[in-house]
Amino acid sequence: MGTTATVTRHRGGSAIAWSLVGPTLLLLIAFNVFPLLYNVALSFTNRELVGDESRWVGTANYTRVFSDPLFAAALRRTALFVLCAVGAELLLGFALALALVRDFRLKRTVLAIVLVPMMLSPAVMGLYWALILNGNYGVLNQVLGEIGLPQPQWLTDRDLKFWSIVVIDVWMWTPFMALIALAGLSAIPSHLYEAAEIDRASRWRVFARITLPMTAPLLGLAVLLRATDALKQFDLVMATAGPNDAATQTLSTLMYQVVFRDGKIGLGSAFACVVLVVVIALATVFTRYLDHLRRARET
Amino acid sequence: MRVVRWIVIVLGLLFAALPLVWMGLSSIKHRSDTISQHLRWIPAAEAPTEPESPAFEATLESYRDLQTVHAGAQHSFWHHLWNSVIIGVLSTIASVVLGTLCAYGFSRFRVPGEKDWLFFILSTRFMPPLAVVVPVLIMYRALDLQGSHLGLALLYTVFNLSLAVWLMKGFLDEIPRAYEEAAVVDGYSRFGAFVRVVLPEARTGIAVTAVFCLISAWNEYGFAMTLNSSGAVTVPPYFAGLQGNIEGMPWPQIAAGALIFVTPIVVFTILVRSHLLRGVTFGTVKQ
Repeated sequence: MGTTATVTRHRGGSAIAWSLVGPTLLLLIAFNVFPLLYNVALSFTNRELVGDESRWVGTANYTRVFSDPLFAAALRRTALFVLCAVGAELLLGFALALALVRDFRLKRTVLAIVLVPMMLSPAVMGLYWALILNGNYGVLNQVLGEIGLPQPQWLTDRDLKFWSIVVIDVWMWTPFMALIALAGLSAIPSHLYEAAEIDRASRWRVFARITLPMTAPLLGLAVLLRATDALKQFDLVMATAGPNDAATQTLSTLMYQVVFRDGKIGLGSAFACVVLVVVIALATVFTRYLDHLRRARET
Repeated sequence: MRVVRWIVIVLGLLFAALPLVWMGLSSIKHRSDTISQHLRWIPAAEAPTEPESPAFEATLESYRDLQTVHAGAQHSFWHHLWNSVIIGVLSTIASVVLGTLCAYGFSRFRVPGEKDWLFFILSTRFMPPLAVVVPVLIMYRALDLQGSHLGLALLYTVFNLSLAVWLMKGFLDEIPRAYEEAAVVDGYSRFGAFVRVVLPEARTGIAVTAVFCLISAWNEYGFAMTLNSSGAVTVPPYFAGLQGNIEGMPWPQIAAGALIFVTPIVVFTILVRSHLLRGVTFGTVKQ
């Protein structure tokens, strides 16, 4: 991290250095580290949303979390969501990037349009998708009806609504995968392809031996970023199904239900702590991976 | 292969753009046309005579009706948009200022444990908001910050610091140190060199960082709905709160409002398009 350039770094300026980085670190400690520890403490109490009374209850909340079928179901469903949504985004995004890698007229415009969905508000767009997917007057079913196909109840059918949310997530985040994959593809030196052409390598062989391995590190980065995000899936579920729908409840919406609808802060905090362990594990993998990538690029 | 390529490109374009196009069409409809059983997609000057016609009467009524207060809400769309603007702008300014200073510190000075601090800063980005929302709620109740512009702006500032520091560090590291040294030789103080030399050189980076901070504050929903459910309500929880209201969803107004709400984001996305990659990967991948 720039250690080679220390010659020109200001020496003895540690008071200045701390006054520059200090405010940021203090804010992060006050609004992230402290609440996190507070949250751990709350998870051992029976505190509720209304009133200030709270009593130490030991590990009772954790016992409840691990024996709660709702938690197990939400955990499985969130894992399935991460797997399916991120998997589909990876495949579609990579396909899109492969199609967009060569230059053509209007490429910049096409790219800008394709990338827009990932910058929009999931809560607002999720709500709007509820109109598109509405079983009775949604445009999707109207089009399906016009061409004589069945018109399923996308957002009310128990077996379908989870997948509808996956589709909305794929709409929002495929551009993200495409953007990162495109960067990986554009960085492949053309002499590799020229060499493969001289060797008369088959198209599949070129893909498997050059294209895929050369883009894999960046795709890995994209998958990790998306997975940590999808694990927190909240906005889309709230916008389409609400927090207490047994068919779509994710870890985040379950936690919201427990804390803000049932008012059980202690139990909700225990939920949060368990989820946090999973997130920390993923985030650790991510930061290690970034470090590894950077070192690989520097050498 | 050429054909396949173009099919993929066209499908990608349609998939990305059609929902937004439909949003535009819905925003110029009467409510009855947004919940009609028949596909209505051709805007016309007059209402069609046949009930099954694909045409609908175009109207700007929904944009005018954005000032109405819907059932279940206390204020009109404009009021909530203004809340989003205040909170978004305040938090963006604060996170860019703090993030730039912090990144400058890490970029140009020796900070003990620099690498650990930087990864600590990055790791805060992965925190699920719901893991801290209860303690923050209790803190905000005690400090009387619940339902205020300041409270949410402060939270978004902190939330965006990791992005601001990492992005700005990437941009500042690219500015040669020789520039500042030359300025110091010319008689500028260290602070003067920062203001007169470094900041102008970093203006692209600052603009890109500001756009990304603004977008993430603008779009945020979880904290906004839990902390600011009564006062200073931003647009995403306002729209979400219209669900299940007794008059039914005012779809044309929602489409019009959502369109107004996402337009600045679309414009900003296009403006920073060459830096998008950097923004979404915390400055670790550069094009």
